[in-house]
Order: sequence, then C-alpha cells, then structure tokens
Amino acid sequence: MSGKQFFIDRYKQLGWQYKPVELRQAIRINQMNNEGKNLIERLENIGTKLEKITFLQQGYWVYNPKVSVGATAEYLLGLYSIQEAAAQIPATLFSILKGKQVLDMAAAPGGKTVQMADYMQNTGAIVAIDINKRRLTALTNHLERCHVTNTVVYQLDARNAPKMGYKFDRILVDAPCSGNFASDPIWFKNRTLQDVERNARVQREILAKAVECLNQNGEIVYSTCSLEPEEDELNIDWAIKKMNLEVKEINCPGKNGLTKVFGRKLDPSIERCRRFWPDETQGFFICKLGRHNT
Amino acid sequence: MKAQEITDFALQLGVKLGFNEELIVQQSGRYYLLNETILPLVKDTFFFAGEFLGKVKDGRFFPSFILLSKLAEKGSANRVVVDKKTGWLFICGRDVFKKGVLKTYGSVNRKSFVLVVNEFGDCLGFGRIASDFDQAGKNEVVVQNVSDVGDFLRRERGL
Repeated sequence: MSGKQFFIDRYKQLGWQYKPVELRQAIRINQMNNEGKNLIERLENIGTKLEKITFLQQGYWVYNPKVSVGATAEYLLGLYSIQEAAAQIPATLFSILKGKQVLDMAAAPGGKTVQMADYMQNTGAIVAIDINKRRLTALTNHLERCHVTNTVVYQLDARNAPKMGYKFDRILVDAPCSGNFASDPIWFKNRTLQDVERNARVQREILAKAVECLNQNGEIVYSTCSLEPEEDELNIDWAIKKMNLEVKEINCPGKNGLTKVFGRKLDPSIERCRRFWPDETQGFFICKLGRHNT
Repeated sequence: MKAQEITDFALQLGVKLGFNEELIVQQSGRYYLLNETILPLVKDTFFFAGEFLGKVKDGRFFPSFILLSKLAEKGSANRVVVDKKTGWLFICGRDVFKKGVLKTYGSVNRKSFVLVVNEFGDCLGFGRIASDFDQAGKNEVVVQNVSDVGDFLRRERGL
C-alpha cells in the first residue's frame, strides 16, 4: 500500500483533489531582538521583497531575494528566523506563554522553540528535548543566534519525558511524522502506509507521555506536517477516548479537522482541529488539547 | 573561580562584569548563566542551559555571541563602528581596514581587543587592534578578525 496514486486516491476520499504545489519561502521576525532595528527596511535595502502573511503576526513571505535570506547579517544576528508559514502557527495557539513552564518535545532544529522563547521574552522556562544529538547541535546554534536564554536542552527520547520528573503548563508536541509531498519531492516514492501507521503509533506514545507531564490546567498543542489522518484526526480521536483529553477551540486558518475518515465516524469535537492541505503552505495539522473539563 | 575566565575576557574589552557564581554552570567546557527560574530544571545531563556565555578550548576562552552582544550594550566597551561593506566583509571572516571604520569607543591601542559593531549597533563579533590606530593609513588593517557571527554559517556546514 504505497505509491503516488494510492495516496492521491486517499486524499480524494478525504475530500481534497491533489495538485502539485510550489511552496513560498517565509520568515518570522524575532520581536525581542528587533527593538528599533528597522528590519523590514534593512532587508528591502538589500533586495529582499517582503509581504506580510495575513494570518501571522510576525510572519512574512519572501519574494525573489537577491541574496539568500539564510546568509544576511540580519539573519546571523538573530533578527529573524526562516520558518515555513504553517510551521509558525502551533506556537501561536497557546493562550499565554509568558512566565510559563513549557516543554517542547521533539524540539530540534528549534524553530518553534525560538518562537516560543520570543513570545515569552525569555521569561519562564522551556525544556527542549530531542533524541538526535546532531540535531540538538543545530538547535543550540539556533538558540545562541537568536539570543534565547530561558531554555534547557536535553538529549532525550520524548517518550522518556516523564522520567525528568517535571510538570509543565504548556507542552508542544510537534510530533515526528511522515511529512508530506509538498516539502519532500520524493515523498510518494519513499512512503508506505506501514510507515504512516508506525509513525502514528509513536505519536500516540509521545502524546500519552505529554499528558503525564501536563499540569492540571495545562495546554498541549499537537501538530504534524503529515496529511495522513492516521497521524492527525485518528490520533486525536484516540486521545479524546483514551487520554481523557478534549479539543479546545482555536482561532486559526485552515480547514476544519475531518470527523469522518474512510467511513469511520470520529468525535465531533475534532472539527476544532485545523488541517492545511498543501497550497501556499506545506501540508499541516494542528490542534490544542486540554484535560477534559478544565 | 568559574566566572574568572569570563570576567577576565570582559575586562580585556573594557567592561567590568559581575556574576553570581552559583548561577554559572559548566558542561563540556561550555559556560552557562542560569537564573532562579530555570535553575531547578537543570540536571547534570543537560546539553545546553540558559544563557550560553562561551567555551574554553585549549585553555583559551571563546565568548558566545550572546555575551559579545551583552558587552556591546555597555557604554565602556572598546568598539569600532564600521560601515556596511566593512561589516559584511567582517562577517565573511575578513579583517577591518581603517577606511571602513566610522567611529571608535574606548581603547583602540595596539593589541587591545575591540568589538566590531555595525551602524545599527549590532555586534558582529570581535577582533584585535593590529596597528596603532591613529598612525594607520586608510588601506591598512586596523582590526584583525578573531570571531564573527558568520561562524553560525560555518558551523552549519560542519553539521
């Protein structure tokens, strides 16, 4: 069960007609490093045309840059980060971050960690964990470049997070996933349904551990860049039924989460999740969870 | 004694820094400054924590760019303000020619350490004064590059 046509047929059953897409490059301004820096003007002066992303406060589309946006002085000084537009959304969904104790599970390469630290203005604390040491080095370079000072990083499998013995007010589960064709040109060639099911199992294990680390009134934001419902709506349906979680309302673009998947009816509250079929952004799935009745 | 290497380095740039020693931790030759909020979250096995100050390699202290930026905010810091082109070349690892210097602050005597700052006040790195600043010709190197933010790109290539 693999191949381009197999997956395209699945998407059709889920209500989306496949089309090839070309992603737009996006950046996110790091607010805390930008006081009086005239960043937009500085980037435009070096030939980088920017357009505000309507659904993001600090996000901008980048047009035909004359220089690589990953090699400007402003980038190296941490004034902005290169971050795909949909990937900028998860951190915006937490109700309050300033002063909170935050866990970032599967944090590397750190785009969302830096974004949360920016919203927190380096207050509170973030514990960022990832299993891969090489990716942790990229994460810590990112933290240094963007002047993040409120984060503690551990090399740790997210499924071992409760062993740290800490509880958190906010937990980001940007789960390791199968990805999608929009950001991986050989995705259809490489992926099988078995991969998807295996990843979905790992994601459920991570989500279960996130719940163990969550304070009573805490919030979990769950996201993947997978289009496959096994990693998205079906996992959330499982979390509602087995983990006593509920899906919270979010004010965010995207299509409502699917409540009927391949003939199976899911919890109606899954409609509050958001699904991004690839278009200007890559494919993405996001939702906010809390304990039932909190 | 943990803070000694850091405060000594800051002094070479004309800045007197004070730290609460109890909040400085070391891991694999790297120094980090913690605060009361993150201190309880730091176990022996941490990979990175709080404010990265720099690392010691072969007995020599190399400051982080967070520390350099912090020093650049202090009025007493030795620094040269450079023009746009010079700033870009410095980030690419090049030395600073006198003609690219717009302004100097603090000590710019030969062998002094100086921060290299762009016209917006951003700290691009630091270097060492290579020749008597006042005597140097406009096409003479006045600051030898020691470390610059272009290092982030060089590190990425190594990953």
